[in-house]
Amino acid sequence: MKSKSLLNIALVGNPNTGKTSLFNQLTGLNQKVGNYPGITVDKKQGKCKVSEHLTAEITDLPGTYSINPTTLDETIVLETLLNEKNDSFPDLVIVVAEVENLKRNLFLFSQIKDLQFPTILVINMSDQMVRKGISIDIDTLKKELKSEIVLISARKNIGVDDLKKEIENYENWNTEPVANISDKIDSVFFEAIETAFPEFSIYKSWLLITQQKNCDFLSSDLHRKITEFNKDNEKIKKYQHKETVYRYQIINEILKKTYSVDKNEATDLRSKLDRILTHRIFGYIIFFGILLLIFQSIFAWASYPMDLIDGFFANLSELAKTNLPEGTFTNLIAEGVIPGVGGVVIFLPQIAILFMFIATLEETGYMSRVVFLMDKIMRKFGMSGKSIIPLISGTACAIPAIMASRNISDWKERLITILVIPFTTCSARLPVYAILIALIIPDERVFGIFNLQGLTLMGLYLLGFTAAISSAILLHNVLKIKTRGLFIIEMPNYKLPSIKNIFYEVVEKTKAFIFGAGKIILALSIVLWFLASNGSSKFKNATEFVTSQESTNNLSEKVLSKKIAFYRLEHSYIGNMGKIIEPVIKPMGYDWKIGIALISSFAAREVFIGALATIYNVESEGEDVGTIKERMAAEVNPKTGEKRFDFATGMSLLLFYAFAMQCIGTLAIVKRETKSWKWPILQLTGMGALAYVVSIITYNILS
Amino acid sequence: MQEFLVYIALGLSIGFLVKKYFFKTKKKNNRDPGCDSCH
Repeated sequence: MKSKSLLNIALVGNPNTGKTSLFNQLTGLNQKVGNYPGITVDKKQGKCKVSEHLTAEITDLPGTYSINPTTLDETIVLETLLNEKNDSFPDLVIVVAEVENLKRNLFLFSQIKDLQFPTILVINMSDQMVRKGISIDIDTLKKELKSEIVLISARKNIGVDDLKKEIENYENWNTEPVANISDKIDSVFFEAIETAFPEFSIYKSWLLITQQKNCDFLSSDLHRKITEFNKDNEKIKKYQHKETVYRYQIINEILKKTYSVDKNEATDLRSKLDRILTHRIFGYIIFFGILLLIFQSIFAWASYPMDLIDGFFANLSELAKTNLPEGTFTNLIAEGVIPGVGGVVIFLPQIAILFMFIATLEETGYMSRVVFLMDKIMRKFGMSGKSIIPLISGTACAIPAIMASRNISDWKERLITILVIPFTTCSARLPVYAILIALIIPDERVFGIFNLQGLTLMGLYLLGFTAAISSAILLHNVLKIKTRGLFIIEMPNYKLPSIKNIFYEVVEKTKAFIFGAGKIILALSIVLWFLASNGSSKFKNATEFVTSQESTNNLSEKVLSKKIAFYRLEHSYIGNMGKIIEPVIKPMGYDWKIGIALISSFAAREVFIGALATIYNVESEGEDVGTIKERMAAEVNPKTGEKRFDFATGMSLLLFYAFAMQCIGTLAIVKRETKSWKWPILQLTGMGALAYVVSIITYNILS
Repeated sequence: MQEFLVYIALGLSIGFLVKKYFFKTKKKNNRDPGCDSCH
C-alpha cells in the first residue's frame, strides 16, 4: 500500500454511538451533537491533522445498524463503502461502537472488516465502564477481531490522541476478514462468486449481489453479471439470513471470552434504577402503584369523552329518525346501525388511554423491567412475564389485551394468555355488576370503614383474576404444545418517551380495534336488530290483537302502545329464542325476559342492562317507575310473588357474567390471533359451561 | 323500498359474518401461530 498525504477516512457506526462527537473532536468543526437516531442525515466532512505529515479528510456517515440498507441514509453508507469511484471512498474505516451495546455494534464492524478495509474499532463512552460494571479484555478482543482497538470518550476528549497515533500506522493494520461466511453458508456458491468477480473481495461481491437494487453506480456489464446470481431470490434471502445468524454466533463467542458486566459493581443511574425497579419487594410495590395510577386515570379520564360519544350517537340516532323518511330502513339505521357503531366507538377513549400508558411505559424502558420482574411469578402459572401486560389490559377491554399478547414469543404461553384474558373483569362487565350489586347487596358498612357493595365489586375483580390464574394452571397441564422454556429480554436504556411514537402506537391500536372487531359488531347489530324487529304472524298482528284484547280496559294511547311493543318483543324472533331457552336457564333462576337480555348480550355484555331496560320499561305499562334499577327491583316472579331479582338470582347472574364468554368481539379477535376456530369455540363452551354450572349451584344453594 | 334496503343490509351482514367465520382466506404469507409444528 502506498503512503498518502491525504487520507480518506470513513466514520461509521450505529446510531447514538457518539460518532458525531468523535468527528467534532477530530476535525474541530462545530457540528450539532444530539442524542437521537438519525442526526446525521447526509455526509459530513472535515479535515483532521493526524500528524505533521499526514492529514485526513474524515467523512461522518449516517448511523446504521448494518450495511444492508433499509433507508436512504443507510444507502449512503453502502455506496460510500462499495463505490471505488466515490470521492469519499475510504482508505481506512473507523467503526465507532458504544461500550454498553458492543454486541449489536460488532455486527456492523464485522461486515466492514470483511470488506477488507484497514479498519479500527473505537469503543466510545469507555469512561462509563467502571460505573456500569463493564470489563473488557482488550488484548484478546484485538486478537479475535483481527483489528486494532482504541478506548475513547469522545465527549471528554479521552483517547482521541491514541486514535490519531493508531491511524498514523494504518498501513500495518490487519485487513483479514473476521467472519469467513463462504464456508458457513455455501462454499460452492461463494467459489462461483469469487471466480465471477476476481477484482473484488468475496464479501464485497456478495454485498453487490444482495444489494444490487441499492447500487446505482454499477456498470451495465457488472449489473448483468450480478443479475445472474440474483435469479434465485429465495436462495439469496435464505443465505442472508444464514449470514446474520452466523455473524451473531461469532460475536457471541468472542464476547463470551472478552466482555463481562457485573451489575453489582455498577454505580450508574440506570443500574441504580434497575436495582430499585426490579427489587424483589420494592419492584412489586412500585409496579402495583403505577397500575393503580393507570386504572384510576383510565376511569377518570375516559368517562368524559365516553359520555360525549354516547351523547353524540344518541343525538345522531334521533337525528336519523327525525330527518330520514319513515320506514324500516330508517329504523335499522337509527336503532341498529348507529347504536351498533356507537357501541364500538364508545370504548375508544379507554383503549386509547390504556395504550397511551402502555406505549409510554415501553418507550421509557420500564416495561422490560416489569416483564423481568413478573416472569418468576407468571411462569408458575404456565405464562410468561410478558403475559402480565395483556392481563392488566384485560381490565379495560379483552380485545386490545389479546392483541397485546403478540409480543409473547412462546406460542404455548401466548395461547394460554389469550385463553384466560376474558376472565379478567373488563369494563363492559362493570355496568352489569354495578346494577346487580346495587339491587342485591345492602348499602352497609363493614367494620365501620368498608362499603359492602364496594367490597363485593372488588371481590368480583379478584374472582376474575383467580379464574384466569386457575385456568392458566389447568391449560398449562392439559395443552400438549412444545414450549421453548427460554426467556430472553433485552433491557433497554431508560429514556424520555417519544410523543410521536406513542401517538403512532395509539392510532395503530385503535384503528385495529375499529376495523377489526368493529366490522363484526356492526354486522351483528344489524342481525340482532332484525331479529328483535321481526317475527311470526303474532308479531305482525300485534296491534290488532292487543287493541282488541284491551278494548274493554280503557287504556291510554301511551300505555296501549307500550303493551303492543311488549307483545311484539315477546313474539319477535329474539323473543321466541328467549322462550326457547327458558327451560335451560330456569335452573339458574331466570325467566324468558332475562333470557332475551342474555341472548342480546351475547354480542356485548353491557347490552344486558339496555335489553332489560327495554323489556321492563314496556312491562311497566307506561307508569313512571323511575330508573332501570327501580324497575328491576319492582319486577316480581309471578309464580312465587317474590322479587325477581332476589339475592339468589342476583348472585347467580353476577357469577354468570363473571365467567361467561359474552363478547363476540373477543371471540372474533381470538379467532384472528390464533388463526383457528378451535380456540374461540373452546373458550365459548368452556367458559359458558363453567358459568352455567356455577350459576345453577349458586342459585340452588341461596334460594 | 326501505324494506328492500333492510334485506340488502341484512344479507350483506350475514354474508360478511359467514365469510369471516366459515371461509378461510387464501392469504398464506403469514406464519400460522396455531401451527404447533412451527415451534
